[in-house]
Amino acid sequence: MLTFAIRRLLGLVAVLLVLSILVFLIFFATPGIDPARRMAGRNPSPETIAQIKHEFGLDRSLPVQYVLMMKKLFVTRDLISYGSQTKVIPEITSAAPVTFSLVIGAAVIWVVFSILVGLAAAVLRGTVLDPILMILALIGISVPVFWLGEVVNLFTQSRWHGFFLFSWVPPLGYTPLTQDPLKWFEGLVFPWLTLSVLYVGFYARVLRANLIETENEDYIRTARAKGISERRVLLRHNLRTSMITFVSLFGLDLGVLIGGGALLTEVVFGLPGVGLLTYNSLTGLDLPVIMTTVIYGAFFITIASALVDLLYAWLDPRVRPA
Amino acid sequence: MAVFEPEAEGIVLDAEETGGDIVGRSPWALAGRRLLRNRISLAALTLFLLIVVVSFGAPIYAHDIAHTDPFASNVTGTIKLNGKTVDVIQQGTGKLGLGETPIGPTWSSQYFLGADNQGRDVAARVLYGGRSSLIIGLSSAALACLLALLFALVAGFFGGFTDTIISRLMDLVWAFPVYLLAISLATVLLTSAHGLNLGLFTLSASSLWIPLLIIGLIYVPYVYRPIRGQVLSLREKEFVEAAIAQGAGSFRLIFREILPNVLSTVIVLLPLMIATTILTESALSYLSIGVQAPQASWGTIIQDGQALLYTRPWVAIGPGIMILLTVLALNVFGDGLRDALDPRSKVRSR
Amino acid sequence: MRPRSLFQLLALFGVAALVLSACGGSSKKKSSAAGGSGGTLTTLAQAAAPGSPDPQINYTLQEWQMLIMTHDGLTAFKKAGGLAGTQVVPDLATTIPNPTEGGKTYVFTLRKGIKFSDGTTLKASDVTRTFERNFAVHGPTAGTFYKTIVGAAACLKTPATCDLSKNGVIADDANNTVTFHLTSGDPEFLQKLAVPFASILPPSTPMKAVQIPPPGTGPYKFVEYNLHKGIKLVRNPFFKVWSKDAQPAGKPDVIIQKFGLGPEAEVTQVENGQADWMFDPVPADRLNELSNKFPDQVHINPLTADYYMAFNVRVPPFNNLDARRAVNYATDRNALVKIYGGPKLAVPSCQILPPNFPGYKPYCPYTKNPGSGKWTAPDLAKAKQLIAASGTKGASVKVNTDTTDTNKAFGLYFVGLLNSLGYKASLQALSPDLQYAYCQNSKNKVQFCWSAWSQDYPAASDFINILFGCSSFVPNSDASPNLSEYCNKSVQAQIDQALKQAITDPTGANVKWAAIDKEITDQAGWVEMFNPKQLDFTGKRVKGYQFSPQWYFLLDLASVK
Repeated sequence: MLTFAIRRLLGLVAVLLVLSILVFLIFFATPGIDPARRMAGRNPSPETIAQIKHEFGLDRSLPVQYVLMMKKLFVTRDLISYGSQTKVIPEITSAAPVTFSLVIGAAVIWVVFSILVGLAAAVLRGTVLDPILMILALIGISVPVFWLGEVVNLFTQSRWHGFFLFSWVPPLGYTPLTQDPLKWFEGLVFPWLTLSVLYVGFYARVLRANLIETENEDYIRTARAKGISERRVLLRHNLRTSMITFVSLFGLDLGVLIGGGALLTEVVFGLPGVGLLTYNSLTGLDLPVIMTTVIYGAFFITIASALVDLLYAWLDPRVRPA
Repeated sequence: MAVFEPEAEGIVLDAEETGGDIVGRSPWALAGRRLLRNRISLAALTLFLLIVVVSFGAPIYAHDIAHTDPFASNVTGTIKLNGKTVDVIQQGTGKLGLGETPIGPTWSSQYFLGADNQGRDVAARVLYGGRSSLIIGLSSAALACLLALLFALVAGFFGGFTDTIISRLMDLVWAFPVYLLAISLATVLLTSAHGLNLGLFTLSASSLWIPLLIIGLIYVPYVYRPIRGQVLSLREKEFVEAAIAQGAGSFRLIFREILPNVLSTVIVLLPLMIATTILTESALSYLSIGVQAPQASWGTIIQDGQALLYTRPWVAIGPGIMILLTVLALNVFGDGLRDALDPRSKVRSR
Repeated sequence: MRPRSLFQLLALFGVAALVLSACGGSSKKKSSAAGGSGGTLTTLAQAAAPGSPDPQINYTLQEWQMLIMTHDGLTAFKKAGGLAGTQVVPDLATTIPNPTEGGKTYVFTLRKGIKFSDGTTLKASDVTRTFERNFAVHGPTAGTFYKTIVGAAACLKTPATCDLSKNGVIADDANNTVTFHLTSGDPEFLQKLAVPFASILPPSTPMKAVQIPPPGTGPYKFVEYNLHKGIKLVRNPFFKVWSKDAQPAGKPDVIIQKFGLGPEAEVTQVENGQADWMFDPVPADRLNELSNKFPDQVHINPLTADYYMAFNVRVPPFNNLDARRAVNYATDRNALVKIYGGPKLAVPSCQILPPNFPGYKPYCPYTKNPGSGKWTAPDLAKAKQLIAASGTKGASVKVNTDTTDTNKAFGLYFVGLLNSLGYKASLQALSPDLQYAYCQNSKNKVQFCWSAWSQDYPAASDFINILFGCSSFVPNSDASPNLSEYCNKSVQAQIDQALKQAITDPTGANVKWAAIDKEITDQAGWVEMFNPKQLDFTGKRVKGYQFSPQWYFLLDLASVK
């Protein structure tokens, strides 16, 4: 187990290293931007630009610039953004809680609902409700999340905003939890629901398929033969095994989302999270912020993947590395 | 699935039908029959094909029905509505006369879904957008599946160092921020004078090849994983051992023994991948880093509709419904395909 | 109004009343028709002003609107609405001096007893230090606005050791005077002293870029500057009015600007009375709603600004004068106005200088029936004639804009237009962070590029010299505002003459500027599209809205009580 963990950790560092170098190279291969020019402002003189270039080390060779940037990011932690000319790390630390709020809230909702729907569909197999639930799940994974968000906004902000059902919906944006918990909650309800639609559909189907597959396993048959009630069979024996796949997929998805994968939801609902920060830095070609957000995102994705593998090995002894 | 199934229903049925002679049917034929019996899947397939046909008929709609050029700016244009000539984009009302609003849906042949901010016919654009979205979706899914298949066969079969290298490469691709790649590539192409010169041909910034290649490449790891797993387990099966004993070389083993058995997995994944790539393309285009003007896709039209969302919602709703129907049809059909090709996974509702 | 917002409004009034009664009479309470003092002016913006918050670096209107309330220069633009707001009045100086020695020397006498918000008293050497700091922090206009100060050239080379105290900006603390020596006469020097780059800073300000604007002499001071949450200005306890024209006492007690909401949400907040003003432009789809439901809260004022498409006159096909004129004749400026938001928000134009600008004389040749100076309709017949004469048909053209909705729409319009004229046009839309720098750099060989220009201060040269002057074209540099790469020796000679004449005879110089404007327009370096108007949407309780052509909405002159 320990060697496994160390190996994955080394793998994580390797991935981050390669990724950061690639990002660096892609950025410098993209033409049309001179960071010194951007930092200089609206109509600078050539001398000003040259001065800024020198001060920020932008006139050095690429490998030197790379090392300088990594040092500023990890060691001295004072990396400066090209766009706002302020420190990058505080930008991420203020965007991270927004993403956490969005993702954790949505995760709670989708886990609860997908377990309910998946269980219901498996139990109600044979009735008309099973296909209905599955069609709903399919619709959930077929709808583009940004479009769903736009439609939700159309109704909650504009068309039906006058009705009591939606009049409490605040304008698009994020209120920190520490500032106004009620507003924080109100502003996140619809983003949570929108983001979870896709995942409820997906996970309900996964769970249902797993439940039905394990139905035919010997140990389930044994449990029934022992006289255990159907409900206990379902919940204590079947569900636990079926959750293995569920949990591993969940871990991977959560990793991606926390790392900035909920970008589309953040854009549509105006939530200044890590995803939006990543996107803005990309369109603005702001290398320091790009580098930081990419590393941040890749970190979570890779850690989640390693944790899931670990968890999977622990839960399902058949999969443990020999 | 390809392992011979003596209890497969087809054989029993045939015996009854042909009155005693047992006629074997290939597993593919059996699958085909199961698929044909699944009405819902067939309906979904029909819907998808219908959408494809209608989208590719966009030029006919634009030219003969709507009489419009959906790519030309028509800010000061007029149309005849109920006998009156009205501006396509109308000045606001009220005390100050501020704002300019395009006309809403006319539900007739011209401007069926109304006009967008440039005075263009939205319905015609949605059809043309369908063309782009479907081309990219179908091609990139095919590309991803093809590449994944190749890599998985090689990695799974040869194992060891090859497997490690390819699998870590796949990890890297999977962790790579797709948006960075898309934006960077888009910027490179937009700012270079004549597009990307790749020796044989040049790609301009608005070429559909860009999003196609990007999306095709980033989904390779997704398809690679399950196929590789299957190749690994197939490698240990008896029939492969038998072939080796017969003196078969690697090439023959891969392409004649393992590949046919993996094919069904790929076929099942294909419609699901098309659904995924269509959704991804629409997301990239919505963020303006996918399909570029003057081309249109469903995602770009939703982007156009964002500024008009509260006044002319149909500009955004129209293409979204098309995406929903297309992806839903593909998912339903994909389910049916999977049930047909692997009956053990199908849940019999009896 | 929904109950929640009414409650909030009442609460705000209640709190403000409590605060005022507790404070006593530190601010004059005038309940005139324009409204009384006190309260919090709540403004909204989607994001903080881009760039550093340092007053000597930031070059955005968003930041400048705040900085004029916290800082002062030796001179200032009169804090008044309308054309009066373009007048230069003495601020920290007692009077506006006449320059001597052929316009190269200015001697200012500082007012006595002015204190910064950190308690230190203003003295002459603070002025010298401020100008040295401008170079030390690599201020964007250090090398452009202030290069005529003696010693500036050395400061540009080695900013860290910049020393202007001997020759350039000589301070006499004992007599409270500051003497500027310039290398040549500069007719706009007094205006350049009135912009925030020249706001005088206290000696406690470090010689590197700061993260929050430093103390100033104005009626307010920054107490909070959070890039994600917002900024907050409160009253400067050391401020006393020394000149109502230059720096009146502000009406609100607190001014805040909250960040994070998109423009759609901002409009809703102002409509609901949860905010008093939004900095960002109102999205096009809400204009109709405002027009119908809140017409009295909408203020529309003309801007001295241009929206234009620049030709690159050195690269085919637009190195051909006939081709450029053809596109100008064919452009339907009404369509462009429509894209921008309608005739109430933009006025078609053909020339460089905007209306009501010094040196402006209406001139428009690119219309049907020219002669009135106003644009009426495109002349497609003439355009087609000129295209045929130019022989440039079939050339491929990239139309460059940024990715914002409106500008992209302009680009698409021109792509269609150029295609209909026989070119092979395509759209090249870049991120707004990149597009302007990209267009400026001649090595990118941009052929046809969207841009906009608004004044730094009201002077014809701020348009003509910066946008068409030979020295404004810097090859292979991202800082080359002469997008057309236009350089005409005879026109440049006329520009230099006008600049010289403006030092002593501004009215005569303006006649010259009008003639230059006409000539450059005839040479069609641009397709000038229109002069936009500024739309301000204020909240219900805002009284005393005033619009200055220099600073736009004068925030602290408005009252929320």
